[in-house]
Amino acid sequence: MTYYQWFSILALGVCVISAAWHFIRLVRLGKPEDFSLASGKEIPAIVYSFTGAMSPAKKESAFLHLPTYSAGMIYHLGTFAAIAIFFLELAGLISQTGIFYAGAFMLLLSFGCGVGIFIKRLVKPGLRKLSSPDDYISNILVTLFQLSAAIVIMIPSTAPVYYLLAGLLALYFPLGKLKHAVYFFAARYHLGIFYGHRNVWPPKPL
Amino acid sequence: MAELTKEQTGKGLQVFENLKDSKLLTHLNSCVHCGLCAESCIYYLASKDDRLTPARKVDIVSSVYRRYFTVAGQIFPSLVNARNLDETTANEMVDLLFGACTMCGRCTMHCSVGVDIGYIVRTGRAMLSNMGMVPATLQSTVIAAVETGNNMGIPTEEFVATIEWMEEELIDEVQNPEAKIPLDQRGKNVLYTLNPREPKFFPLSISAMAKIFFAAGESWTLSSRMYDITNYAFFSGNKNESLLIAKRLFEETEALQAKTVVLAECGHGSRAFRWEAPNYLDRKMPFEIKTSVEVIAGYIREGKIKLDPEKIKQSVTLHDPCNLVRHGGIIQEQRYILKNFIRNFIEMNPCGTDNYCCGGGGGQLAMSEYNDRRMKIAAIKADQIKATGAKIVVTPCHNCVDQLTQISQSFKLGLQIKTLAEIVAEALIID
Repeated sequence: MTYYQWFSILALGVCVISAAWHFIRLVRLGKPEDFSLASGKEIPAIVYSFTGAMSPAKKESAFLHLPTYSAGMIYHLGTFAAIAIFFLELAGLISQTGIFYAGAFMLLLSFGCGVGIFIKRLVKPGLRKLSSPDDYISNILVTLFQLSAAIVIMIPSTAPVYYLLAGLLALYFPLGKLKHAVYFFAARYHLGIFYGHRNVWPPKPL
Repeated sequence: MAELTKEQTGKGLQVFENLKDSKLLTHLNSCVHCGLCAESCIYYLASKDDRLTPARKVDIVSSVYRRYFTVAGQIFPSLVNARNLDETTANEMVDLLFGACTMCGRCTMHCSVGVDIGYIVRTGRAMLSNMGMVPATLQSTVIAAVETGNNMGIPTEEFVATIEWMEEELIDEVQNPEAKIPLDQRGKNVLYTLNPREPKFFPLSISAMAKIFFAAGESWTLSSRMYDITNYAFFSGNKNESLLIAKRLFEETEALQAKTVVLAECGHGSRAFRWEAPNYLDRKMPFEIKTSVEVIAGYIREGKIKLDPEKIKQSVTLHDPCNLVRHGGIIQEQRYILKNFIRNFIEMNPCGTDNYCCGGGGGQLAMSEYNDRRMKIAAIKADQIKATGAKIVVTPCHNCVDQLTQISQSFKLGLQIKTLAEIVAEALIID
């Protein structure tokens, strides 16, 4: 293994330990004890929280902002794909074949979405005022990681840059908002519990 | 304002310490600053002021959390916008969390991640409460409730006299001496609560509900010692005062040995006692708790009351109180009741769990310092009502009644605003 591969693996270790620490802390703290008598069911509401409630048909933040919502969805899919590419590359399983080229194309599309989201944050005054350096850094690291994953498929000699970017992204994970990779699931879970207990979710016809 | 003392800062930060579960930690760490929640908030919609978006309200609370409780916030505060809890931050928190949020929860339902924004706002209010920075107008309402037993400071004699007067009115109306408004009677099926606005300003809403109980043949009573369903400490964020107020109603129900507490038409009061009080008290309630909306719907379903569909000729729309609907799951019952006897019922758009807040929630009606802002955001609700063309707006919440009445006057809508009990009582068929 090369030094840059070792660097990225060690960085990934830091990232995983950090994510695990956050996750274990959440699990240990557990869900709120609620003494009020439930009028609904939590499990169907948790399922709805992760499914129907996320759809543009129900979520105003999605249907009022369909381009941003779509870009966000593609961007997140691209991130997962780039992570998969990382392990495939490490295992030497990447080849210049149709399926990987298709993956590279998808990553380029996702990279474009990342750039779009970055520009939107930069250009829209309301979003700019809301943003911290962490918002920009997180976007830049993830977007470049996706771009480098696409390039490494097509041009294997760029692997050192790819591993370096992967390592930097993993090292940055514990510091900023990338942690939402853990907290997103916890947030949807808590919403499901809350609305399910009170019979608000899943929604019923009026 | 004067600089914050170290003690104040410490008390403010206490809300982040000794976490009992993972909920607060989760929601403090989840916002990704996408800003897509803006259009779900009536403050932003009415003002287009970026400062008033839900994300900014979450951020000011979580930025303080990050500063003191995260490694990045302690070492690189600028990187993650971690803020010191100083007087500038605290004053901004007061303005945003008390003055620019009704805690309606609409943004929470539509947040792209799932941050419980209302819960974070309430946490921020709890911080300010610990620091002694609750707006004086809101705090005086809480103090009135704590010191006198009701938030309007109504003396018991005055309350009893009002009830006796309403009983006479009811007997006259139904022409039956058995139509009583019982006070302090033990062992009844129902202990009915009131919003103190009723005995103070709208006593006819008490007789309206009494008429419904009479028609249904209900065994019920009011309490002269503790009838106040409101709990403004829930809005101020003071858990001790919330507990004290909730405990009084709990103890009175026990003392009167009532089987069911029926909550008057008060959104936040219903939420505070039905959903929050058991957690303030750290125990399950040994009696049933129902809203009057559920009770009236039950009477209709069981055939205990009958309503005359010819009585209300005008078009009617429904305003859903946020605390009853989004935070209480009472969504279908009010519609079931109205559709039972209203010929011309028109829904607002959006409605149900997506309904816009009237602007009076979250303690806004008690905080006169934010009146201008409150009436500015009311334009959203005024437009919603206008679009229905309805002449009567029904809402099962006295707070909403007050705000909607002001909306009708300010925007010259010429509406009648009624509680559910009032419109049902009007159409009641008394055999």
